[in-house]
Amino acid sequence: MDDALVRTGRALRLMLLTALAVLFLIPFYLLVRGGLASEEEITAPGWTLFPTSPHWSNVRELFTDPDVPMARALLNSSLIAVATTLGTLLLASLAGYGLARIPYRHADAVFYAILGTLLVPAAVTFVPSFVLVSSLGWVSSLRGLIVPTLFSAFACFVFRQYFLGFPRELEDAAQVDGLGYWRTYWRVVVPNSRPVFAAVGTIVFIGAWNAFLWPLVIGQGRDSWTVQVALSTFTTAQTVQIHELFVAAAVSILPLLLVFLLLQRYIVAGVERSGIDD
Amino acid sequence: MPISRRLLLAGGAGIALTGCGSNTGRGGEEGPGRPRLSHWYHQYGEPGTRQAVGRYAAAYKDAAVRIEWRPGNYDQQTAAALLTDSGPDVFEVAGPTVEQIQAGQVTDLTGLLKDVKGEFDPVILAPRTYRDRVWGIPQLVDTQLLYYRRSMLDAAGVRPPQSLDELVDAARRLTRKDVKGLFLGNSGGAGALGGTPLYAAGLSLVTPGGQVGFDDPAAARTLGKLRRFHTDGSLLLGAPTDWFNPASFTQGLAAMQWCGLWALPQVKKALGDDFGVLPFPPDGPAGRPSVPVGAWAAAVSSRSAHREAAEAYVKWLWVERTDYQQDFAQSYGLHIPARASLAARADRLKSGAAAEAVRFTKEHGYARPLLWTEASQTAYLDALSRITREGADPGSELKAVVRKASAELHRVRSRG
Amino acid sequence: MPAAPRRLPAARQRHRALWFWAFVGPFAAGLALFTYVPLAWSVYLSFFDAHNTVSPTEFVRLDNYATLLADASFRSSLVTFAVFSAFIVPATYALSLGLALAVNRLRAGRAFFRSVFFLPTACSYVVAATVWKLSVFNGVRFGLANTVLGWFGAEPVAWLAATDPPWYWLVIVTVRLWLQAGFYMVLFLAGLQRIPPRLYEAAALDGARPGWQTFRHITFPALRSTSVAVVLLLIINAFQAFDEFYNLLSDQRGYPPYARPPLVHLYYLALGQGQDLGLGSAGAVLLALIIAVVTVVQARWSGLGRRED
Repeated sequence: MDDALVRTGRALRLMLLTALAVLFLIPFYLLVRGGLASEEEITAPGWTLFPTSPHWSNVRELFTDPDVPMARALLNSSLIAVATTLGTLLLASLAGYGLARIPYRHADAVFYAILGTLLVPAAVTFVPSFVLVSSLGWVSSLRGLIVPTLFSAFACFVFRQYFLGFPRELEDAAQVDGLGYWRTYWRVVVPNSRPVFAAVGTIVFIGAWNAFLWPLVIGQGRDSWTVQVALSTFTTAQTVQIHELFVAAAVSILPLLLVFLLLQRYIVAGVERSGIDD
Repeated sequence: MPISRRLLLAGGAGIALTGCGSNTGRGGEEGPGRPRLSHWYHQYGEPGTRQAVGRYAAAYKDAAVRIEWRPGNYDQQTAAALLTDSGPDVFEVAGPTVEQIQAGQVTDLTGLLKDVKGEFDPVILAPRTYRDRVWGIPQLVDTQLLYYRRSMLDAAGVRPPQSLDELVDAARRLTRKDVKGLFLGNSGGAGALGGTPLYAAGLSLVTPGGQVGFDDPAAARTLGKLRRFHTDGSLLLGAPTDWFNPASFTQGLAAMQWCGLWALPQVKKALGDDFGVLPFPPDGPAGRPSVPVGAWAAAVSSRSAHREAAEAYVKWLWVERTDYQQDFAQSYGLHIPARASLAARADRLKSGAAAEAVRFTKEHGYARPLLWTEASQTAYLDALSRITREGADPGSELKAVVRKASAELHRVRSRG
Repeated sequence: MPAAPRRLPAARQRHRALWFWAFVGPFAAGLALFTYVPLAWSVYLSFFDAHNTVSPTEFVRLDNYATLLADASFRSSLVTFAVFSAFIVPATYALSLGLALAVNRLRAGRAFFRSVFFLPTACSYVVAATVWKLSVFNGVRFGLANTVLGWFGAEPVAWLAATDPPWYWLVIVTVRLWLQAGFYMVLFLAGLQRIPPRLYEAAALDGARPGWQTFRHITFPALRSTSVAVVLLLIINAFQAFDEFYNLLSDQRGYPPYARPPLVHLYYLALGQGQDLGLGSAGAVLLALIIAVVTVVQARWSGLGRRED
């Protein structure tokens, strides 16, 4: 009797989860459907489950569009996202370690000053930021696109929380061996912290890949367009071609989905050990 | 601290190994006496436009002109860039705005029009004229119109509406299960129409004397009638494309649509002769048909390192090269050339619906006044949206707009 | 701190300070330059009449602040935010916790379900808004939602343009739930993994029935610190809500007067053609102050960020 109840409960839960999973996947389905359909199929009154003859030519069209250098944009986005991720991981993890582990009188004050920036809505300090970067002469350079975004208070916060929970015994052993902070960090702490680097790295990578306003305004010239900027050309034009927009959108998220599927094991493990919530 | 700064610079340099393509081209010289200019355009939707402006720029001999083709929110990008030295030398702009002129962000281009000023339609030159000086050279004229589907009107026994009341009535009678009577854009008309209904009531946004032009009971009466479109359920809303794209009209989602002359070639291709165009119809005893016209203009940034060269280039392209101006207005989307002599020679505007549109523009065209600021526009559009969509009281809504707009007019008039 | 060695305490402290700044300095310097300088600049601008300039000359004291606080549409944007977060914070919280609990108890297919719910996190607001606006919730007969309604014989609904009832909230809220629930689900999953199994064993011995009782007395309290972090992040994110609103509702001519959160309101004030940087900056300062008060209160109340040692 009890056993049957448990089994029914389990089946119900599985059904509910499956239904939710289908709901969560629908937008991806719509993206692919829209991207492979012809304009007539999309706007037809009856719902076609899937284009009868998928228009793979839409993909070719996208990459040969004379007005939108999509391949170049993918390359730019990859470059920027990788550089931003590596830079952020380096800077934020060092800072997080220093804040967590090096006794210093003003450490708490520095920590709260960093944390406080999370509260400032970046969109409204946008113009001063732009003027500042421009006065450094960084407009339309890779530097201008990357460097100002490297200082993520969120990443620093996660690293600090993680390092607070890092087993002290490991570090103590290293210090007995005569290693200073610097070498302890690189030889002991970093190699034992891969999951948290993977977790923060993924989040930073997504943010960098999806950034729109900053690359739009800082990057000048079609050669410096990122994927998001290229994508926006399909939504602002007076002639919206839905299939073109959708195929571009699908192409723009594909690299991220792949990164995600490959890394998600580490992400979960990283969050688990980061103590983000302690 | 010195350590950290060094580290920062080292980190920065390590990451920024390579520059991203070429730089803006500001301040550079290419060969003796050939300055480099950067010329910004917003992204036009019609294929071929980008290649065309590139062709024009390449043909200019006295400067090396680099075209910047900017997608996304163009106004915001130019506004931010004009605050810095990394902005454009020459840029196209829907204004320039009175604030941009007053802040000294654009140069005085009056001299460029010395001999030809009379050729430009005064309706579009006036909003670019401040204290008798001209701050932008109009590139082309864009007209907005009401498109209607002849066959659908015939089937419903409706004649092309000649007054606002008839338009309301027609929209209601044309509405079927899968076809709505009228498409005024996905925001239900506020954004697409703007001040047009006020002009149709015989009023204006700003009077020639610089006062609010709709502090009048007629304004509330006319705007109140727009509410009927919503209560009758005769508006198409939530279409995949907005009012400036004719797709909803050509796909038969709506029997009438507010759109622009630029869409006429597409409409003709899709519907043949099964359509006609109208101005926004008049309302009330003082009413008159109303046709909003807009124009993209070329302006020169005051922060340009080569102001004279930039102005010379603008003069060459938008005053002297009439062949390019004609090509720009006629070969991609359909627009009216900014100059009378060119408009008269534009073959594609000589017959049919296009010729009608040109006539409406000439007789009933109005442009958004220079002193009508963005803050006034936002207040007005908010009120219009609340009146039409939510049934707010037109009288009290308009009173608040008049107050806001008066304060804005006072602010911009009292500035040096 | 343990008693410092008697010999050379000052030198030792200097040594540590030096190392502290070697680790934290590069980050702190960058943050100072790229966040604090623009922030200070915004505060400065907020006391000036700064139309189309970042080096204003006309000092107006607190006029910008007074103007904003007297502005009905700014106040209503704060109300919009309050309504929005009063719904989205609990909804996201409940959905992500529910998903985590359900996924965590699966025996098979756990990785699959986790991936499915987590995948949307990779999408940008631009892509999500595009799908929502053009495919799911477009207002004509070939949108997905209207197609489904059509099967039941209902009339198409103009989801984003309908103000009575305000269907646009459904669109805005679902897009945010879809994008964010998976991320918070992972945070909860991590929290669940850390609950020691002996707690459950002890509870079972005490006669607690699996299900609601166990959840109430064991799981939920054990997740307290995760919950606090999630709620904090949700509140900050709700305050900074901009992208989905802007991408779903703006058009070329502006933004409707409804569903306009503070950041969207300030965007139209300070950026674009009507570049009133003084007023926009004043709004930014006010907003940052409000967020600061809310988070400090929330953090105090829940004890977040307390050092364990």
